[in-house]
Amino acid sequence: MNEIRLLFRKDIFILINNIKLILRNPLRLLPYAGILAYIFFMYYLRLKGRGDDAPAQEMPELDLNGLPEVNFAMQNIIGGVTILALGLLIYQLFSATKKNVSFFKMADVNLLFTAPVKPENILIYYMARSILPSLGGAIIFVIYGASQAIDTFEMTVANFIFLILAFALFFFIVSPIKFLVYTLNTKYDVMEYIRTGVIVLAVLLVGIIVIPGLMAEKFWQGMFAWITSPWFDFFPIVGWSRGIASYLVHGNAIISIGFILLYGVSYFVILKLVIRFAGYYYEDVLEATKSNEEKLEKVKGKKQVGESSYSLNTKKKLALPDFGTGAKAFYWRNYVHSSRQDFHPLFGLYSLIMVGIGIVLAVLSLFEWFSHYFLYSYLLIMLFLYFFAGIGRANVGDLKKPFFILVPATWAAKFWNMIKLDILQISLFCVALIVPSVLIAGLNWFVVPLFLFATIEVYLIGFGINIIPQIALDEGWDRKLIKPFMIGGIVLFGFVPAFAFSIVAFIVSKQFVWALFGGTFGMFFVAAILMHVTLDVLKRLEFKEI
Amino acid sequence: MLSVTNLVKTYGKQNAVNDISFELQGGEVVGLLGPNGAGKSTTMKCIVGLLRKTSGEITLGGYDHLSVEAKRLFSYIPETPYVYDLLTVQEHMQFVAQAYGVKEWREKADEYLELFELADKRDKLGRDLSKGMRQKVSICCALLPDPQVLFFDEPMIGLDPKAIKNTKKIFKQLKEAGKTILVSTHLIDSVESIADRIMILKDGNIVGNDTVANLKRQFVQEEGTSLEDLFLEMTKDE
Repeated sequence: MNEIRLLFRKDIFILINNIKLILRNPLRLLPYAGILAYIFFMYYLRLKGRGDDAPAQEMPELDLNGLPEVNFAMQNIIGGVTILALGLLIYQLFSATKKNVSFFKMADVNLLFTAPVKPENILIYYMARSILPSLGGAIIFVIYGASQAIDTFEMTVANFIFLILAFALFFFIVSPIKFLVYTLNTKYDVMEYIRTGVIVLAVLLVGIIVIPGLMAEKFWQGMFAWITSPWFDFFPIVGWSRGIASYLVHGNAIISIGFILLYGVSYFVILKLVIRFAGYYYEDVLEATKSNEEKLEKVKGKKQVGESSYSLNTKKKLALPDFGTGAKAFYWRNYVHSSRQDFHPLFGLYSLIMVGIGIVLAVLSLFEWFSHYFLYSYLLIMLFLYFFAGIGRANVGDLKKPFFILVPATWAAKFWNMIKLDILQISLFCVALIVPSVLIAGLNWFVVPLFLFATIEVYLIGFGINIIPQIALDEGWDRKLIKPFMIGGIVLFGFVPAFAFSIVAFIVSKQFVWALFGGTFGMFFVAAILMHVTLDVLKRLEFKEI
Repeated sequence: MLSVTNLVKTYGKQNAVNDISFELQGGEVVGLLGPNGAGKSTTMKCIVGLLRKTSGEITLGGYDHLSVEAKRLFSYIPETPYVYDLLTVQEHMQFVAQAYGVKEWREKADEYLELFELADKRDKLGRDLSKGMRQKVSICCALLPDPQVLFFDEPMIGLDPKAIKNTKKIFKQLKEAGKTILVSTHLIDSVESIADRIMILKDGNIVGNDTVANLKRQFVQEEGTSLEDLFLEMTKDE
């Protein structure tokens, strides 16, 4: 067990050095203190509110036969959370057949893997240690979540503990399972069987949502009937976590501890299987470790985001003609890159899927299986996604290459050619999504241009918000301190008025189209100002070699 | 000391290392040369156990290369020097000393840190080191256990001229101390003076494995040919 002692001591050193770093610069804790203050404030508000208007123990609503009526709102909340967890589980299982999970750092690869230590002991230590991030994340999430729900639920210490364990164990167990799946695949080449198994499981899960949905009077009333029933608590992992968390409702510790024990037994079995089948696993984790390290470096800003981190068909042969000289070369480069990323540079698989989901929602709202609000919410989510796409665009590609500075063309031309492909892609996606949706769901025709305009606006705003501080502010505290203020200012004086305008328009008109108009109109000014500033600061761009 | 027999490493259908065999005797210094993609790093990573060999046999000091006994015998200096972000330079030395069971490591650590001008950086965290400094830390960590065999994978990349000079000096000292060294490099002149033997890889095959003098005699007829000319001659496309 020398390895365990060695690694434990190393982690203690790392912990001490981390504490020293924090003590050297306590200002780092300010944002966390802010979050903590917010959470306490929420607790205070909710607890105060509960005292004022806490209703007496409500009797459940009874139907004509004297039976309690189904609480569809609660059923949909539980069903929605369960679906999310199931989706995450299926995704994780599926991705395990493609890429391994790694518990290690590249420093472990270089310094530890080549050292005279037993590979299985290293694995046991790191696998067990991986519960810490899950536990930490679960504690933060539950404390935050509880601050929002404390007026509804009584949050005792036991409630906290069971909720934290429910989340932590769910996220913790996924990694060893992924490791086991990949290991079995490496050893026995059973990838196809595992993948088929995961797909079958996904189809069955879709079935247990669709079938009761179709059987019900309205789809949304029945779709979660099965997965919210108590027997679903026995469904591995997702059900077990729900079973642990259900302590909040029934208060029976024995039931919840039973589910924790199920996790314990599963972990033990997985660990035994991993040690038996993993063997000399160093090569299996090499790629995942390296890619994790690169991601971490990108987050820290040490390394630029490589576009190759997205799926890329490197073998695709292309023979694209020149698009022109000067800055048009950037549009050409983006076009080539995008051609390798998807089946068509202007419209890809993800766009197709997102358009498909939108149209399905439109059809469901046409037959009144879903309210129109689901479709509206989906459109708003798309705006949200494109806002983040804009933020991400400022980190990748041309801006981080010296060519962007060296190519002889005006800054405006370079900027336009850099984002031109995105704008075309956005426009095509928006048209493909919104035209059929408007037709099918019978929405107001003005939603079409407004949605297109709004999407481009949020993309440009996201782009501007990220790029301006990157170029205009110097390294270090300037950027760290001023950037939040800048974003805060944009939110306060840009987003909030636009959002308020949108809400007012909706309250007055009771129509989505006016709400969209209000928001788009307000955001137009924000986008225009940010683009003006972006073009102004772009000429100060410099190439920072890493 | 090191014996590689019929080593094959495939990625999918492609052979990165194509059935190669060679031996390194105790105290021998061998330079592993080859163009990009020749299989140098793959061969080295297979030997140190970072990559799983597809087939073949590798032994170190008579032990299977993956055994703990074999690992006590060697150190590896990787091409990319990754260190622990939140361990100081000194703590890295301590960590390696524990991993390899090195007693009285402090004096040796001080000596190497002094030699590589890291003495004043001993309390710096890994994350605050430049790439060159990380490479120096990596070399110091490899030297600390006083291994019998050293595998250097492109050790000079990222080093400043003084550190390159020191590394060459270290090579000489290690050779004099009877250590076995396999060094993969593009800097041909860095191994020419100290290597007992040169091994040239091309497309996963060994195309030359002999002393520099013998290789010159074998492949080049002209007088005054350098190792660089020899390398280019042997690795040129047919």
